[in-house]
Amino acid sequence: MKVPKAPKPSEKRKKGLTRKLVLSMLLVGALPLLIGLLLAFFQGTQEIREVSGTSFEALATETARKLDLVIADELSRTALLTINANLIHLLENRRDALSEIRQETLTPLLQQESEAWQSKDLDFLSTIAEGPIVEELQRHVRGTYIDLGYPVPVITRSTTRSLYITDRAGRLVASLDAKAPYLHAEEDWWKSAFHNGVGQPYIGPIQFDPQHQTYTFTLALPIMDSLRYEAVGVLRRIYDAKEFFAPSIDIIRFGETGHVMLIDSRGVVLSCPILPTGTAVSDHTLIPLVTPMYPGWTPAPSDGHGGQKTSIIGFAPLSNANRITQSSNGLSWHMFVWQSSEELFGPIQHFFKWTAAFGLLGVGLLVTLGYLAAHRIAAPIRRLQEAARRIGRGEFQEPILLSTGDEIEELAEEVNRMNQQLASQFAGLESQVELKTQEVKYLQESTTQILDSVPDPVVMIGPQEQIEYLNQASKEALVLKNGNVEGTPLFQLLQLDPPTQAKLRQEIHLVQSGVLTAPPAATPDQLIKKLHDPLSPVSWEHSGGDRRELQLNQRTYRYRWFAIPAPPGKEPGVGLVLRDITEESLLQDQLIQGEKLVSLGVLSAGIGHELNNPLVGVIGLGEAIQEEADPEHIKEYARGIVQHGKRMASVVRDFTGQVGKQFSEAQTLVNINEQLERTLTAVQSVFQSSPVEVRTRFAPLPPLPARPFELGQAFTNVITNAFQAMKDGGTLEIATTVLEQEIHITIRDTGKGIEPNHLPKVFDPFFTTKGQGEGSGLGLTVAHRIITKLGGQIRLDSKKNHGTVCLIILPITSNKHMEHKES
Amino acid sequence: MERDNPSVAQRRIFSLLAILILSSSLALEAATDPPSTPKGISPEKVADYVHAIVEADRNVYTTHIVKRMQDQGVVMAREDWEGKNAIPLPAQFLHYSSKIVAESGSGIRFRLISLWPIYLRNGPATEFERKALEQLNANPNVPQRGIVATGKKQFFQAVYADKGISSSCITCHNAHPLSPKRDFKMGDVMGAVVITIPLED
Repeated sequence: MKVPKAPKPSEKRKKGLTRKLVLSMLLVGALPLLIGLLLAFFQGTQEIREVSGTSFEALATETARKLDLVIADELSRTALLTINANLIHLLENRRDALSEIRQETLTPLLQQESEAWQSKDLDFLSTIAEGPIVEELQRHVRGTYIDLGYPVPVITRSTTRSLYITDRAGRLVASLDAKAPYLHAEEDWWKSAFHNGVGQPYIGPIQFDPQHQTYTFTLALPIMDSLRYEAVGVLRRIYDAKEFFAPSIDIIRFGETGHVMLIDSRGVVLSCPILPTGTAVSDHTLIPLVTPMYPGWTPAPSDGHGGQKTSIIGFAPLSNANRITQSSNGLSWHMFVWQSSEELFGPIQHFFKWTAAFGLLGVGLLVTLGYLAAHRIAAPIRRLQEAARRIGRGEFQEPILLSTGDEIEELAEEVNRMNQQLASQFAGLESQVELKTQEVKYLQESTTQILDSVPDPVVMIGPQEQIEYLNQASKEALVLKNGNVEGTPLFQLLQLDPPTQAKLRQEIHLVQSGVLTAPPAATPDQLIKKLHDPLSPVSWEHSGGDRRELQLNQRTYRYRWFAIPAPPGKEPGVGLVLRDITEESLLQDQLIQGEKLVSLGVLSAGIGHELNNPLVGVIGLGEAIQEEADPEHIKEYARGIVQHGKRMASVVRDFTGQVGKQFSEAQTLVNINEQLERTLTAVQSVFQSSPVEVRTRFAPLPPLPARPFELGQAFTNVITNAFQAMKDGGTLEIATTVLEQEIHITIRDTGKGIEPNHLPKVFDPFFTTKGQGEGSGLGLTVAHRIITKLGGQIRLDSKKNHGTVCLIILPITSNKHMEHKES
Repeated sequence: MERDNPSVAQRRIFSLLAILILSSSLALEAATDPPSTPKGISPEKVADYVHAIVEADRNVYTTHIVKRMQDQGVVMAREDWEGKNAIPLPAQFLHYSSKIVAESGSGIRFRLISLWPIYLRNGPATEFERKALEQLNANPNVPQRGIVATGKKQFFQAVYADKGISSSCITCHNAHPLSPKRDFKMGDVMGAVVITIPLED
């Protein structure tokens, strides 16, 4: 159920169906019509071409045959002249005479006769242009010649331009034409027709005759002797080509442009009703197409008459005449039948135009009716579409009532049903959404309340360091009057010196990039420790190996970053938790100070003890001096007093040195084993009376950077506890070892142990089981404080009446690190 | 492509013809060479030899080429064979070979004549030829011989009967529109071969 985003495409689509329907009707109706029309046109054209082609071919063939007969007839009638007995007799005599003349005399003779002919010598002229043979020729040409073979007078055409006869030497024997040359033996027609005496008919090519000022062609026939053994002369007849062929060709016209023409194989027109005789066809590429030695028709790219349109040309060779022309001069004659394409294809183009016009009318009707029909179909669909769009928007509406009685009506019913189902489903969804929204609100509120009830300030900042949330504690801590500070940059709110700001920015960046993370969840051990020492913020100290504290409004805060997961597509934010440790550190400092005083008391007791013995000695020796008279003995006692005094002086010197160190001690490298030894000696001197067996097992240890007195104080407190627990004797074991970059110090006694219910409280301040004056209840607290300050741990394990084990673990850290920490 | 076949066939036939004619003209040269025969050889003999060769050539063409080709449907012999898918008729074969012999300039000529020619030019040229044809019609086996002249030139002529040896000769002459006689039968004398030999002075 798509809801259109913009109204424009839907407007566009509105007419889509109608257009499609009209288009498909057009495709179904008009396309086949168009294709059919085109096919009919092409098929019709093809057929017209085929029919015209074959007709043209037939016409060409028929005309060629007719012209062949005309030529054959002309040939045979002219041949009648060559069998004239008188002529043959004359020429035989001439031959015989020639055979008696020697070659040397023949040439001058011929030259002489030729000159006589050209000079129009009357006597000589009369021998050639007059006489029975010339009369015979004249009768033949005039059409009054009657031969036995021809029962009717031959109607000779007036096409003959010249007619003359030569003898076997090529000399003119008889001529109708006084302008004819005298000698012919060197001319092509003569040589071809004489053919070295064998004799063969000759038909010459069409050429312009300057004498007759027209295009002519020659027919030459050999005159054979009476035996038909050899040629004794040659007859030449020159025809006007146009006049000779036109009666057979030019009369054949069909339609406006259809006609027949005769060309030779050079493409020269012999006769054509349109082109003048002697010209060449306009397109030379046509010639090979239309001059094969068989009849046919071809579609040609031009018409040969100057037109460049595709033409249908029928052609046929003059097979009989060509036999002579080809042997005479290599040319052949061809009929060429042509009609212009416009005329040829005119009717079908006319038909096509009309059909196309009616087709267009039909298409127009189709579009109109189609539009109406499509509208009828599309209208209910559009109603359905409108309804579907409104359903999509969630506007449930009245059921659609359509009565088209087809699939659309069914579709409308389906839409109605869908509408109802959607309506019921939407109702359920809405209540669910409301419920979830309420839950989210509740969660938000409760989270805010939880955060507000947390005593530590919590600040959440966005990716650009802008404040996103402040809980109640932080508002109080930052002394904010107006509650709305969201969006304010963090460092505008926290007034910090630039180096601290830079450090915090770097940390924010690290947290955002996921490098700096919250500390891992506390192990059970750490939890126990927490229980043992609520004052010790172990997790803070271990969180990154780096103490994070900052001064704000004259208060000290320890802080911690945490990453806030961002919703998809947003940059993660960072949270900041602050803890006010101002009081805590004050308390701890006071504790340490108090303990120092306590240990000073212990020290004083020790000093008292140390001084007491020599003092008793001094008193005793003094009393003895009082009663002794012997100067020797007095001297001896005095020496004793001096000795005791020196000893006391050394005790006092030691004491003053110790106390001085306590308050001004700097961190140095401490040998743990030596420190333990020293502490043990000091404590042992206090508990001299206790029958305790001491065993030490020291492994070689690296020196640790620490304040020797502080460390000594921690050891003193633990060892003192051990001695106090073993008032009735026992064994004290002190061992050191190195395990995984840590120094483990085990102090084990076999004393009375600790009650299990007291065990969790041993590190609590002022917790003690000792009698009045024996202990302050701060010994282990201070020891714990000192050890943890060094990054170490201290644990106690005990069983009632079986003794106690104290384990001190000190990390072996680099000096640099330690120094930094101290700074 | 189709048009190539007849031309190939024609070329083959013409090469065969050329061989035949060459052999016949060699024979003629041998026969008309007086110095090689001190005793001389009579024109009658020469004409007989030439006729035997001409006759044999034409018969070979008729029976072994034309008939065979037509029977096997390879190619037909017809008068307008040029430019058609066809080969020359046996009579045309003789005309062409006659023309080639004439063009060779050896002097000896032969041609085919008839009293019933399709083309008038193939009728008898002289009275002698007419009579000879009539004689042969009556008595085909005796060739007619004689001396004839044109002007001052003298020739020996021998005329040999030419019989219809193939059904194609008969049917063609009986069917041709220009044929003056249409009842030829096999073995009939249809015309004659005239051999003309020039006589030396």
